[in-house]
Amino acid sequence: MSKLRDVIGFEVRRNLKKKSFWVTSFLPPIIVIVIITISVASGNNANKTNQQQASTFTQTHKLAVLDETGLINKQELTKQHIIIEPTEKTGIAAVKSDKISAFFYYPKNVVNAGIEIYAQDQGISFSSSYSTAATQLLKQNVITRVSLLAKNSQIVQLIQNDPTVTTTAYKNGKQTNGLAGIIAPGAFMLAFLVLLVLMANIMITATTEEKENRAAEILLTAIKSRTLILGKILSILSLGLVQLLVIIVPLLIAYVFFKSHITLPGGVSLSHIPLDPKVICFGVLFFVGGLLMFTGFLVGLSALFPSAQEAGRYLGPAFISAFIPIYTLSYIISSPHTLIVNVFTYFPLTAPTMALLQNAAGTLSTTQALISLAVVAVSATIAMTFAMRAFRYGAMEYGRRISIKELFQ
Amino acid sequence: MPNSVVSVESFAISFGHKQVVKDLSFNVNHGEVFGLLGANGAGKTTTIRTLLALLEPTSGKLLVNGQRYSPILSNTLGYLPEERGLYRNEVVLDTMIYFAVLHGLSKDEARSRALTYLKRVGLADKANERLVKLSGGQQQKIQLGVTILHEPSLMILDEPTEALDPVNRALLMDIINEQRSKGATVMLVTHRMEEVEQLCDRILLLKDGVAAEYGTIDEVKDSFGSQVISLNFSGKLPAHNKLYKVTKQLPHYAEIEWHKDVSTDEVLRFLAADKDLHLTTFEVRRPTLNDIFLDLYKDQGADNV
Repeated sequence: MSKLRDVIGFEVRRNLKKKSFWVTSFLPPIIVIVIITISVASGNNANKTNQQQASTFTQTHKLAVLDETGLINKQELTKQHIIIEPTEKTGIAAVKSDKISAFFYYPKNVVNAGIEIYAQDQGISFSSSYSTAATQLLKQNVITRVSLLAKNSQIVQLIQNDPTVTTTAYKNGKQTNGLAGIIAPGAFMLAFLVLLVLMANIMITATTEEKENRAAEILLTAIKSRTLILGKILSILSLGLVQLLVIIVPLLIAYVFFKSHITLPGGVSLSHIPLDPKVICFGVLFFVGGLLMFTGFLVGLSALFPSAQEAGRYLGPAFISAFIPIYTLSYIISSPHTLIVNVFTYFPLTAPTMALLQNAAGTLSTTQALISLAVVAVSATIAMTFAMRAFRYGAMEYGRRISIKELFQ
Repeated sequence: MPNSVVSVESFAISFGHKQVVKDLSFNVNHGEVFGLLGANGAGKTTTIRTLLALLEPTSGKLLVNGQRYSPILSNTLGYLPEERGLYRNEVVLDTMIYFAVLHGLSKDEARSRALTYLKRVGLADKANERLVKLSGGQQQKIQLGVTILHEPSLMILDEPTEALDPVNRALLMDIINEQRSKGATVMLVTHRMEEVEQLCDRILLLKDGVAAEYGTIDEVKDSFGSQVISLNFSGKLPAHNKLYKVTKQLPHYAEIEWHKDVSTDEVLRFLAADKDLHLTTFEVRRPTLNDIFLDLYKDQGADNV
């Protein structure tokens, strides 16, 4: 146990001292900052687009409204062919039965309670347009009713600030999480792929370095190969955690201090991101299991090669397999039960990414998740056992690539 | 503590269809310097790797202090492998501490001993340098330090002087003697016979995976055969087939073997009487280990010896 701690300590410390580690760690947040800056710069343009979409909304979409504030002119609604619903229930039922595109509910205390939107899930592009249309409809009426100022105290607040908007999306009569539902589980998939890219070099050089430096033989007389490889894998995961923190900490700071200024794509409010425990749990398990499996797999295979350069040449295709499921995204959304999706869900090298993608898209059933998790767990165990054996027997084959067949002779 | 620190019994190992070592048995006793000798490919390194559980034997028993070696015993072992190196891009002191800690020292003790060692070998100012910045000779000193820092009771040195410069060779000899005087057992794998004659108590000569000779140096020399006369001279060495045969001849040096029914006095009288020869030395001696080694492996070609 103490030797395991010594290996982890040594490996983590020496990687943290490398400039290249920090360059690769800070690259993703820098890219994110650049993207956010560009987004903010083009924010006005996006707002204009949303407003244009919203202004033509009533012509292109069948809308219904229930106004309990008394601020919206009913004649105007009729003129724009907007249906007035008698109750909230009937409005929601109309959306569910696909009779209307969206139902805007303005509760009496709209300033505090916010606008509620019930709408057909039409993807990312329309999520923000619903929100803009509902807000615009209320604010245009408020401006024309300044004469009621003395009777309704909400008018001043509505002129000064937009009310909050919550959107509930439906697809084929069933409630979906819409864009907000993708964000939390999608973050696990993004973190998994980003870490895989950032850590690939460390994974490949983890064992080839000892071979290239002829240090393996002394090490193996001082420490069991099992302890050494486990120490290396855990140190890689620890370094991954450091890199993850480098990415997450600025985001957390941004969330804590600037959340009122940050609007995610599609007008999703950070405070309204759903955190379904089952979805989060699967996200964590596939994230950790996937990283363990790929680390064991890449560390083990690279132990068969005499140098990191040669290992990198051969391991590229295996590494790419983690990214292939992204190309099946359209199948995952439109027909998640097709053969290719199922194959990728249960094939070890594609299972983590595919399961994380399906988890984000909301198409991963519990049974599928459990089977895929079992595949990942078994594969991770096999990969780590293989890595230990490969290092144990491949470590002293200096300057020569050994075959898997030789390993088991 | 058993008297045999290393005990090898009926050891055999094969790689595929190739049998590298066959039925090998020997012991290394507590406190002795034992030489495991042989030409390249004789099976020396394979024997050491199997002894240290880096390879699995096909059959036989290989024990260290009465048990199969495992890294749990690493605090007792100082191993300098034939293929050796350290983390070239790491800091000298960190590397020495890491290996010493893996061999059972506490971090503080490892640091203190590493600094003392670096001072002893004149590298105190390099403690915080990366290994790759050091010269080849300096890196060799660090490698030796890593082998002995935890003061092992058994040192296994595989071709220790290979590629060492004379300064580091002298340092290694000092270290071996020092550790031996502290009671350590040393197992030396080499094909440098002059080192063996200087250091070893007992030797084993491996040939094609079997023990060709095993015992003290005297026993090996005795078992190997006849004495020779070595001559230093000027002029021309005469031939005399009835008295002796020349086994080695250089312009001013020769080795001759005399016939069984002839005495060395007769040979000396004959050579002294020759007007064309001026003898400067005439020595009757037993064969050196080098002679034995060359004779034993003469059929294996220069590349393997």
